[in-house]
Amino acid sequence: MSFKVIKSSFLSTVQDYGRLNHGEHGMSQSGVMDEHAYAWGNHLLNNHFNDAVIEITFGGLQLEAQADTFIAVTGADLDFKINNKSAQIWHGLQIHKGDVLSWGVPKSGVRAYLAVKGGFDTSVLFDSKSVNLREHIGSKLVEGDELPYTSFDEATYRFIPPQYVPNYNQAIVLRILPTYQFNDFSINQRDLFFNQNYTITNANDRTGCRLSGAPIAIKKERMISEGISYGCVEIATDGLPIILLKDAPSIGGYPKIGTVFSLDLAKLAQRQPNTKLRFELMNIHEAQKQRKKFNQFFEISF
Amino acid sequence: MHNIVSAGENAVLIYFGDKIDAALPEKIGNFANQLKNTLSDVIVDLIPSYTSLHVSYDLNKIAEQDLRTKIEQCLTQQESQSSLLESNTTHIPVYYGLEVGLDLERLLAEKNLDLDAFIEIHTAQAYLIYAIGFSPVFAFLGEVDKRIQAPRLATPRIKIPAGSVGIAERQTAIYPSDSSGGWNIVGRTPIDLSLNNSENIDKFRVGDKVKFYSITRDEYLKNGGLL
Repeated sequence: MSFKVIKSSFLSTVQDYGRLNHGEHGMSQSGVMDEHAYAWGNHLLNNHFNDAVIEITFGGLQLEAQADTFIAVTGADLDFKINNKSAQIWHGLQIHKGDVLSWGVPKSGVRAYLAVKGGFDTSVLFDSKSVNLREHIGSKLVEGDELPYTSFDEATYRFIPPQYVPNYNQAIVLRILPTYQFNDFSINQRDLFFNQNYTITNANDRTGCRLSGAPIAIKKERMISEGISYGCVEIATDGLPIILLKDAPSIGGYPKIGTVFSLDLAKLAQRQPNTKLRFELMNIHEAQKQRKKFNQFFEISF
Repeated sequence: MHNIVSAGENAVLIYFGDKIDAALPEKIGNFANQLKNTLSDVIVDLIPSYTSLHVSYDLNKIAEQDLRTKIEQCLTQQESQSSLLESNTTHIPVYYGLEVGLDLERLLAEKNLDLDAFIEIHTAQAYLIYAIGFSPVFAFLGEVDKRIQAPRLATPRIKIPAGSVGIAERQTAIYPSDSSGGWNIVGRTPIDLSLNNSENIDKFRVGDKVKFYSITRDEYLKNGGLL
């Protein structure tokens, strides 16, 4: 059984936790852009942490259910409706054969996640269901596509304590870990980096997020390419930061001033161009402690 | 000698040197295999590159400090061991024709070489794979003979056809799938290196070698090459 795509949108793709073990083959990590919303979607339905979902960017998608099952929509508020009636997000819902699920325009946030009980049963490509358009792995949803799932008549939900539902209109501070070439940047360069408000530009997609602001003067233009971590911040030759995200190439040759704490990247994934943000230094042990707790809660283990 | 730095909350980067060196890729490739064998339960991914190895790990299974200690132990062991793996050489046929070598005519003029001389230089050596990246199956090969080195194009092309063979400064490479890019295109292979054939994922490995050989237009077409 499956959802049928009635109306396709700007960008909706199947994603899971990611294609984590193919860096040596030059592949991106891929996977969901907002790990917080994704993890909750699967958790509400008692799914496995790595179950595949639909990542809906900016809305505009319409799906028809071809069998009864249970779903949860998390992440951005994209005016989600079932049969033209507003429906609850961050909550498990039962749906029936013939129901039409639709997403309109963003009210808050950028990316919504549709989780289905048991996960979407699309094809596994190199150990993951994640689509990566830059790498020609899979394709975005188009009208007529079928998104297979297993039908369920019964399910138990979990609930989300309200304080964990994020407010995507809040100002964001990205906490950054002192990694890579952090120590090669001078005190003056770091001061400029940490003491200014940057703006998210239009060059903001699944590959990376380019920021505008006051450029940092840098000496070396390029360095020897090395392995990229999710969230590392390159300072490009123009002195401005690029935050590398899920579909970024596996290696890169710009100096990197640090790595954004992964759970702050979930917040970044929900911000539109022109949003202001700033960086704050974070202790790496604190980041590891918080991320470990998150992984334990959602049973994320490799 | 080795330097280990943090690369994120769940990743470290091991540096084996600070200069591009033909001795490093094989050493790094071997060390990656050694880590895979000894620490497979905690390691999530490995990315070897010119002088470094990026290691991401499951932070719920091992603390960064313990991982660093284990990596250091492995590094000490490696120094007392000789190479674990033999390096493989992959042979790639290339049609060096002006109709597919988009920059060939200009390069020949700039370098004052005729086509045969250019082909002889480009096919003379088995190139070392220094890194895989930019896109899947894209292998950075070096070092290109000085007589045919050329800087990247000032304006990258929007679309370079799959199979195109390019040169950028000291490096040469094959574009496995259609892609944008700024390398000087000198020929094209009829071999499908894209992920349409999933076995291509393992086609190249850091530390292995690639040797090109010249084929005629007829052979190129017969083997499925497109014009």
